[in-house]
Amino acid sequence: MNASPDPFAGAEDAALLVAYANGDGQAARYLTARLLPRVLAQATRMLGNGSEAEDVAQDAMMRLWKIAPEWRQGEAQVSTWLYRVVANLCTDRLRKRRGGVPLDQVAEPPDPSPSAVAQMQTQARMMALSDALAQLPERQAQAVSLRHLEGLANPEIAQIMDISVRSVESLTARGKRALADIMAGRKAELGYDDDEPE
Amino acid sequence: MTMTNPNDDMLDDLFAQARGTSPVPGDALMARVIADADAVQPRAVAAPVARPGLMMRMLDAIGGWPAVSGLAMATVAGIWVGVAPPASVQDVTAAMMGDEVSINLFTTDLILDAGALGDG
Repeated sequence: MNASPDPFAGAEDAALLVAYANGDGQAARYLTARLLPRVLAQATRMLGNGSEAEDVAQDAMMRLWKIAPEWRQGEAQVSTWLYRVVANLCTDRLRKRRGGVPLDQVAEPPDPSPSAVAQMQTQARMMALSDALAQLPERQAQAVSLRHLEGLANPEIAQIMDISVRSVESLTARGKRALADIMAGRKAELGYDDDEPE
Repeated sequence: MTMTNPNDDMLDDLFAQARGTSPVPGDALMARVIADADAVQPRAVAAPVARPGLMMRMLDAIGGWPAVSGLAMATVAGIWVGVAPPASVQDVTAAMMGDEVSINLFTTDLILDAGALGDG
């Protein structure tokens, strides 16, 4: 697929979605190639776990396929809609994690090389961040992740979460403060004891 | 003036590391997502065919327009045979139905007699 030129190049995501809903066999392939990397990245950053993130990404894309026949061009951006769906699916997962066994156990690498150890530490930090997000109220977790993990601007977050920009500011400020407090106890464990942040 | 949380540096570093995480979807995940899309894709529906009217249905029942032209030819031929029967047909008709007999109901004599009565 990558070898052939994209026949939908220049077309908006919504136009591809409508083409898919109208029975175009190729539209879903190009739409998947466009959207899945970002969907998977958002889920991975929030969940800190590759296989859980893949499940969420597949679920989010399935919801997109199912809503395609009702999609109205111009009413919403596909990317905005997907940010919202992925954020909701991830907070659902985080809520379940809160009540169960934390997933912050990272397996010992069979390869003890410095790069493998560093990779393991990064993985442990990402999982710790995700576990900390799980302890926040859901709206705070979503706002913080969209602002600080996705790097989105407040007006865009407001659109995704369907709230005012002011509410976004409030949620992100409170969420970040709470997150810092939760993470404070894990400083040494995550290698932030005496070395400078990388 | 805002207070700086001493843990903000760690948090900002964690956020930066998370933003740097950009997993590439594997072939298996791509295949699963595309299979899902194919499974729930609305099928292109053919435009509904308009139901033919009574006239067209009757026409179809007798074999369509070619049959109609054949019927028309047969009808014209039948009328022609009736109006101007060929000699051979007349002979056959005579043999089958008997000779043609003409009876004049209003004979000239009767009309004349009626005139005579009126005069009288």
